[in-house]
Amino acid sequence: MEKRVIKKDALAGIIKKLAESMVVYAPVRDEDNVLFKVLEEGMEPLLDFDNTKNAPKNFFFPQTEVMMRYMRTERGRELSSVDAEAPEAVLFGVRPCDARSFVLLDNVFNDPKYKDPYYIDRRGKTAIVSLACVRPPYTTCFCTSVDGHPFSSEGTDVSLIDMGDSYLAEFVTPKGEELLKKIGDLPAADDALDAKKQEMSAAAEQSVNGAVPARAIKAWMDENFDHPFWDTIHQSCLACGTCTYLCPTCHCFDITDEVKKEDGRRIRSWDSCMSWLFTMETSGHNPRPSQKERWRQRAMHKFKYFVDNFDAVACVGCGRCVMYCPVNIDIRKIVTDISNL
Amino acid sequence: MQNPYIPIPVDVAKIVTEVTTKDIKTFRLAFANKEDEERFQYLPGQFAELSIFGKGESPIGIASSPTQPGYLEFTVQKAGVVTSELHSIEEGFRMGVRGPLGNTWPIDYLKGKNVVIVGGGFAFTTLRSLLNYMIHEDNRSDFGKITVVYGAREPGLLIYKDELAAWEARDDVDMNVTVDKGDEAWTGREGFVPAVCEQVAPGSENAVAVICGPPIMIRFTLPVFFNLGFSKENIYTSLEMRMKCGIGKCGRCNVGSKYVCKDGPVFSLAELDKLTKEY
Repeated sequence: MEKRVIKKDALAGIIKKLAESMVVYAPVRDEDNVLFKVLEEGMEPLLDFDNTKNAPKNFFFPQTEVMMRYMRTERGRELSSVDAEAPEAVLFGVRPCDARSFVLLDNVFNDPKYKDPYYIDRRGKTAIVSLACVRPPYTTCFCTSVDGHPFSSEGTDVSLIDMGDSYLAEFVTPKGEELLKKIGDLPAADDALDAKKQEMSAAAEQSVNGAVPARAIKAWMDENFDHPFWDTIHQSCLACGTCTYLCPTCHCFDITDEVKKEDGRRIRSWDSCMSWLFTMETSGHNPRPSQKERWRQRAMHKFKYFVDNFDAVACVGCGRCVMYCPVNIDIRKIVTDISNL
Repeated sequence: MQNPYIPIPVDVAKIVTEVTTKDIKTFRLAFANKEDEERFQYLPGQFAELSIFGKGESPIGIASSPTQPGYLEFTVQKAGVVTSELHSIEEGFRMGVRGPLGNTWPIDYLKGKNVVIVGGGFAFTTLRSLLNYMIHEDNRSDFGKITVVYGAREPGLLIYKDELAAWEARDDVDMNVTVDKGDEAWTGREGFVPAVCEQVAPGSENAVAVICGPPIMIRFTLPVFFNLGFSKENIYTSLEMRMKCGIGKCGRCNVGSKYVCKDGPVFSLAELDKLTKEY
């Protein structure tokens, strides 16, 4: 693995230079929020921020995307086009928790039997540059409880670590090394910098808040689908879906058709298991008739079903659902409460 | 990379209205391209997404058998947006299918065994596929005795009427068609499906039961088969859930850790016992 040094004041220039020849998504300030946006001329990438409000899954799995277009013919409606392929891109400034979410999503969208061409195309053409969390940004962070780490390079192609006056840049994957070629020459990192990184990594790990027993509750979940505990978490839920939309690993979607005169398009949009409509059948039967069943589904999917299928918890500990739930439902508390049953 | 979301173009070649209430029709769909037909390799029990651009998609069991080359058939009840549109179209209409999707009836496991097919109402579609597959001259010797119990509320609601007569005329299928209540013209059997199963009493030795029907029928039929000595490993059924993608990604048709679209729709009762009852 190539390890190089980038001077602190040079990083923004490198990113802006890349943005001249390829699409670069980077964190930028937008009113009170930090959001990933396409970096256009005159825009400054944000280098010092906590985390973005939205998870970056949007770049591989957009909130809404056109899957295909069709037009009216004398026979009915027929396919007219499938949208053009994605451009080469760099997704800069991803936190390690969010970078890990792509590894989890790959299980779903790139499974051996059914490949999702839209996701795979964008994912394959995008190099991910992560920014390690030297100081975990929120009290709601719990990446270390869900197999993550503030310095994790899982899911990333280039890992940047803020060393004070410079960044240690680790070019983790072949895709990352390709990016190094585009950036040009950078001085090599020495062993002392690497040793310092190890110290910082250990300190960062220590400063992530206490353990949430995310792995341990699966055994209880295996046996307790009908436990009275499931009556205790959903009452305050408004079914707004904020948790699912902000979640880096939630991947549920709806497919709908839109027609305007002769032309139409089939689109997919994020959907939410928090909605009553999600499983509502035409007959009127709904296998998940109340918010209780929907909350059980959300919790079980993250901490049992996903583990059954992919041996991974479908949570990266970013804490967005905890921060933005309008009624303060806290997934950490749910997991901890279950572990105490 | 094959895009599993793009429907295969098909033309509606034939429409048969199956029931007197006119809300169940069988659609024969012919592939617009020969290579699509060759690629569409399926077995009884699988389903496909029927796609009408501008309306959407609906997951429907394949009612034809792979032993009937050249087309696919789907028997569809008029219910929601897509199926209502289907019921309004005419022969020659260009639409789409995505599939084949899901697993199959356990064909290899059924080989060398006696097979009991039990269907109720219009839940006889993938059972028809299975029956036509098993009685095809190339396959019939692979299976033992075939017993069928098929019932509907009244004679006008029995589907596949021409085929029911043809199956009855065969000496290698024990065909038992029943209606809850007959009319003046009805000369056949009367009685509920569970009661008829009790009378027919198929032996459980080296036998597998394949059961589809409304939940109430299944609830009363299962004890009959348990009493006859069928184990849960040897009773199969097919589940339905709301679906979109059909390939285990959109996230809505799971029952526990299994997705009905890709891990099902066919499950044995022994397998269902291990899942949650959320369907």
